[in-house]
Amino acid sequence: MRQLLDSRNKIALFIIAGLILLPLAVTNQYYLHMINLAGIYTLIIIGLNLLTGYTGQVSMGQAGYFAIGTYTAALLMLNIKLSFWLALPAAVLLCAVFGAIIGVPAMKLSGPYLVLATVGFGEIIRLVILNWQPVTKGAAGLTGIPLPQLGTFRIMSEQDFYYLIFACLLLGTYVAHQLARSKIGRTFSAIREDELAAEAMGVPVNHYKIWAFIISAMYAGAAGALYGTFAGVASPDNFTFDDSVGFLCMSVIGGSRTIEGAIIGAFVLTFLSEALRAFQAYRLIIYGVILIFTVIYMPQGLAGIIGVWKNRRNRNDKKIASESGLGES
Amino acid sequence: MQYFLNGLPIGAIYALVALSYSLIYASSGVLNWSQGDMVMLGAYIGFTLFQVMNFGFTSTLLVSMLVVGIVGSIVQYCIVRPLRERQAPPINVVIATLGVAIISRNVALVIWGPDAQNFRSPVSTDPLAFGALSVTAQDILIVVAGIGLMLFLHFFLQRTKEGKALRAVAQDRYAAVLMGVDTGRSDAVAFAASAALGAAAGILVAPVFFVTFNMGAGIGLKGFVAAVIGGLGSIPGAIAGGFLLGILEAVAGGKISSGYRDAITFSVLILVLWLKPSGLFIRKARQKV
Repeated sequence: MRQLLDSRNKIALFIIAGLILLPLAVTNQYYLHMINLAGIYTLIIIGLNLLTGYTGQVSMGQAGYFAIGTYTAALLMLNIKLSFWLALPAAVLLCAVFGAIIGVPAMKLSGPYLVLATVGFGEIIRLVILNWQPVTKGAAGLTGIPLPQLGTFRIMSEQDFYYLIFACLLLGTYVAHQLARSKIGRTFSAIREDELAAEAMGVPVNHYKIWAFIISAMYAGAAGALYGTFAGVASPDNFTFDDSVGFLCMSVIGGSRTIEGAIIGAFVLTFLSEALRAFQAYRLIIYGVILIFTVIYMPQGLAGIIGVWKNRRNRNDKKIASESGLGES
Repeated sequence: MQYFLNGLPIGAIYALVALSYSLIYASSGVLNWSQGDMVMLGAYIGFTLFQVMNFGFTSTLLVSMLVVGIVGSIVQYCIVRPLRERQAPPINVVIATLGVAIISRNVALVIWGPDAQNFRSPVSTDPLAFGALSVTAQDILIVVAGIGLMLFLHFFLQRTKEGKALRAVAQDRYAAVLMGVDTGRSDAVAFAASAALGAAAGILVAPVFFVTFNMGAGIGLKGFVAAVIGGLGSIPGAIAGGFLLGILEAVAGGKISSGYRDAITFSVLILVLWLKPSGLFIRKARQKV
């Protein structure tokens, strides 16, 4: 068992080391930009997976939290010259509050009713940003969002942002992993599998549901704060219903019941929609067809395929071990 | 009073779209996100028949409903049925129908181009004054035709064999199967009827708005809101929800603020859901253990 953990840690360390060196290999600034963007999306999808995949509460309004995160951090940095390192936690905190606010009515709802409530939330946020001219500058959006400053060093190139986003993503993934393996993660899954049974076992279901909303909102808020300073601009067009739908697609295509699924989904769909640009007008038609085929033939998403493959390999390993007389020691 | 009157035609449109959501949800438990895009397809096909090929208005309406109805049953047969057979989670079905929406939107973009098309009204869009109130002939046409379609749906569900099968499946799918109802067929009928209703809504609303490839997103979402306010799966609920939403929007847009109109609509929606989680016109949500 210890050996297994060690080998898994080793793989993780290798991957991390490889990712730290990645910007040296990818010299094309445009690709690096796409990687950074996908990294920011990954943060949202990790939160969404904890909510949708683990707890079974579908949200089609994550763009709303993403918007709150972006605008909160950006406005704090622009108007009261707060440093990025304080604006980020402030954005996360405000998103947590909104997560709780939407979590309270949402905990009574399920199925299409919950979907629509979250859609409504996302739209309300976008419309408020669009119409609250004096603060948000309306449709024109915010420009000149300041860059993060680390002592005297200013994070500004695609490479600098790569490391900032990578660090946030590493932390986010680690926290999500710990959370998923903890009692909280298991309770989330219990609620997804059978809410009534969980309630009967004495699980305070509503309490946990609200926490799932709060956690997913915090992830989207952190992603938003990063997005604002990374893009330098923010407008209501970045946070539409279509964006929420896109996030949900990333979650389901990648595999919503694992944390790895979030990473796979965000990167695959971000790069897929770029790769399909060559098809111009037919781009989104192909995208839609791929979406439909994936949900029909890979119900557990891309991560599900890896899971099947891993299980098969484990079984083979065990078979070889028992055949060669080593067995479990 | 004027706002109330303004809300009626758009309310009739929302009611038709809400009915199309409810019909599918009641019979097969599927939330079909491509419903709004059936409205768009209906409007475009209607535009081509009526304005390019010079069909009469009634035949335009019927042919367009037929074509889009076939599209609806193809969606059910090729996409929803396999998902159902594999017992896919509901969220996968939602994503698949979103895929259908994306595809139909972009197919329309390829065929009809990105420019908004102006659908000529078969009657007139000039306001007619009745004392202090004014309405247009188009508004009257929308409300009358909308109510006519609702009555037709009622007749279809109550009197025809297909309609009765649909109602049986909606009441208890398992029992209906035992009684020899072909659920595959009734699902296809539900999708076809819903798509046809959407197409009719598209043709009726087209002279008021422009016809664009992404018009389905807004109308589809509003129709879904109306269905949920009334209680998803309930036919009277969908009609009441549609008119309620149309009037609410007209009043909110006229009296309070046009910019915040949709934000007010969605706030009311969340409030309704919070107070009555299964809509205004469904008595109690049954939870099966």
